[in-house]
Amino acid sequence: MGVTCVCQVPILEGKSVQQTVDMLHKKLEQLGAVKQGSFFVDCETYHATSNASGKKRQPSKLLYVMHNSETPLSCLALFEGGPYLTADVNFDVLMVKLKSHFQNAKGHKVESRGTRYRYCDFLVKVGTVTMSSSARGISVEVEYCACVVPGDCWNLMKEFMQSFLGSNVPELPSVFAAKPEGLYAPVDCMDTMVQYLELFSKVRKQQVIPGASVR
Amino acid sequence: MSGGPAVRVSIESSCEKQVQEVSLDGTETYVPPLSMSQNLAKLAQRIDFSQGSDSDEEGTEAESRELEWTKQEQEEDEGTVKFQPSLWPWDSVRNNLRSALTEMCVLHDVLSIVKEKKYMALDPVSQDPAVTKTPQVFQLISKKKSLATAAQILLKGAEKLSKSVAENQENRRQRDFNSELLRLRSQWKLRKVGDKILGDLSYRSAGSLFPHQGTFEVIKNTDIDLDKKIPEDHCPLNVQIPSDLEGSAYIKVSIQKQAPDIGDLGTVNLFRRQPKTKPGSQAWHLKLEAAQNVLLCKEIFAQLSREAVQIKSQIPHIVVKNQIISQPFPGLQLSISLCHSTGEKKNQRASPEKTKPDDHLYVLEHNLHQLIREFHKQTLSSVVMPHPASAPFGHKRLRLAGPMAYDKAEINALQQSEGLLEKIIKQAKHIFLRSRTARTIDSLASRIEDPQIQAHWSNINDVYESSVKVLITSQGYEQICKSIQLQLNIGVEQIRVVHRDGRVITLSHQEQELQDFLLSQMSQHQIHAVQQLAKVMGWHVLSFSNHVGHGPIESIGNASAITVASPNGEYAISVRNGPESGCKVLVQFPRSQAKDLPKSDVVQDAKWNYLRGLYKEVHWSRMEGKNFVYKMELLMAALTPCP
Repeated sequence: MGVTCVCQVPILEGKSVQQTVDMLHKKLEQLGAVKQGSFFVDCETYHATSNASGKKRQPSKLLYVMHNSETPLSCLALFEGGPYLTADVNFDVLMVKLKSHFQNAKGHKVESRGTRYRYCDFLVKVGTVTMSSSARGISVEVEYCACVVPGDCWNLMKEFMQSFLGSNVPELPSVFAAKPEGLYAPVDCMDTMVQYLELFSKVRKQQVIPGASVR
Repeated sequence: MSGGPAVRVSIESSCEKQVQEVSLDGTETYVPPLSMSQNLAKLAQRIDFSQGSDSDEEGTEAESRELEWTKQEQEEDEGTVKFQPSLWPWDSVRNNLRSALTEMCVLHDVLSIVKEKKYMALDPVSQDPAVTKTPQVFQLISKKKSLATAAQILLKGAEKLSKSVAENQENRRQRDFNSELLRLRSQWKLRKVGDKILGDLSYRSAGSLFPHQGTFEVIKNTDIDLDKKIPEDHCPLNVQIPSDLEGSAYIKVSIQKQAPDIGDLGTVNLFRRQPKTKPGSQAWHLKLEAAQNVLLCKEIFAQLSREAVQIKSQIPHIVVKNQIISQPFPGLQLSISLCHSTGEKKNQRASPEKTKPDDHLYVLEHNLHQLIREFHKQTLSSVVMPHPASAPFGHKRLRLAGPMAYDKAEINALQQSEGLLEKIIKQAKHIFLRSRTARTIDSLASRIEDPQIQAHWSNINDVYESSVKVLITSQGYEQICKSIQLQLNIGVEQIRVVHRDGRVITLSHQEQELQDFLLSQMSQHQIHAVQQLAKVMGWHVLSFSNHVGHGPIESIGNASAITVASPNGEYAISVRNGPESGCKVLVQFPRSQAKDLPKSDVVQDAKWNYLRGLYKEVHWSRMEGKNFVYKMELLMAALTPCP
């Protein structure tokens, strides 16, 4: 588990989602990256029902339950802005049991699926973000496996990302910006998931791209 | 009893016994109550035959009846005598009548006896002898009869006694069987099926997955001849084990060398275990243990051969009949075989085995047993042990995999497990590598006397790793020359050498590599020794190089060289030592001492005499001294001017 950066790549003018993804693949392969299986990240949304929020009628937070194929035995539950929870896969079963407190928002399931590329110490995952079977955008996750301190390798990652993303290189993700400077603060999988969550909520809010269904 | 008035019936309560003696402490000794026959005899003795009015001449059957009557009469008499006083008016009449009846009865009896002419005959003889004779005959007869009765009773008693003894023996045997069964039950699993008692030999309850049934039957072994003496070690309980588990078995692990140069492994010749009967342990116990051992050996072998077929290695493992052959290193063959011998075959086998050298690797055999038990334990803990219904109860670290968000690589590392065969091959490799390293070092140490090699083996090893510390020293100079200390970590495939200064060199399993490395280290040691010696002697080191870049090329490693100057700078000694070429020592003399130095036109000034002169080689082999460093010390001493 290294430092990861998740960003959204805008769809090129006049191209479909799939074409843009293919172009990214091509660029990566030209760089010398090797295809290494596939990956997926999914996210389900749960509303807290009224009896969960107690007597005071607070504006209830949404609970997101996410899975990442990188950590196949884990299930991650996040509230927006925290707290975050890492559990094993039985958590899904637990959520079914908690039906009376948390209701699954069926239509809100977002997932990103795609191919995994390895380029030396870098792991690049290009995925298509889909929401209720319509493609909404492209996610690119870059992981530098050789380092766990974001500050130490951010410039290197940025340079690497420039080589295939061009001008779409993101800024230092906000999760890392919050980390204390100078101290040893290693990343964990939750940083990646928070970034994915931010990306997904951005995708959820944006308008449906006309005519951009999956293939 | 049809006794006449002369016979007194003693009336006494039967429960009260007559006191025979009162001892000093007050205990009363009672006269034992008379048995019926004794009683009868006593009563019969009282009969006065001389009165001639008695009749006792009935058969033995009548006698028993009589006995009953006596009892009844006793009771009756008790009743009549006690509760009916003999003063009632008709008493005397009754008594007379009764005595008359008795007389009549007796008369009748006598007559009937006389009529039979068997016991008595009425002869018209003189009154006197007849009077005396008849009672004697009666007495004789009655005595005879009572004797016969007594004998009969005695005989009956004897019969009863012998019966009860036999019964006791039978009982004891039965009890022995039960106690043996109880002991068996405390150590082995038993269950009853129908009228049979079946036991379980298998390791299934310990986590074994071997499909063999492993049942044995308990047999009651009690039908032996009662007359014959029971042998000492006879056991009433016997077990019958399945025919394929009979005999003894063991797993034989050996390493065979295809090439002769690999050398001996230095295996220890342990004595073969003999199934010797220990005192106090039962036959069935030994039998069952042997059978269980056979079962375990079979399981190990089955597991190994299954793995041998499944695992893909560069050189495939070969499974032939009861042997698994694998090649851990080129030219080396590891064979694991299952030796199962039933009793009869043993004698045939013993002879060819004796001629062959015993190449067992007992450590590996033991480890195989340990590994299979570990494997059992694993399956037991994952399958049988109580576990929560909601989640699997696997490896502890695997349980953490979810909550700790392990990624794929970490989970893979947790899950990969090695099979029995892989482990044992690795262990075999390590054992082989270790013994070969030891042999290499030893042969070098015995071949080369100067410098000396010392190897310090650690006593405690891992199954896959052991270490040895190698010191290269010169005799007599151990304190000043300890520059070369090597730590050899012997692994499975390779040997890692850790130098004293922290350099790490990895050597492969090839023997030559280690030998070359040690040789080059030894050659370096000599140069280091000169350096150390120079320090002690007050000489100055002018140059020092571990790896000299000129001169003849060594086939092993590099030559090393040192140049030292004497304290006043007049002389210099230059030493070059190569692992192959050996050492070459040159001494540089001051120019002034050189006689054959050509007179030069250029350097004529006296000051030039202080320049160094030519080098001259020392005939090192002719030098006095037992080893290199000693020789060097002598040389240095010779070249140092006296103060």
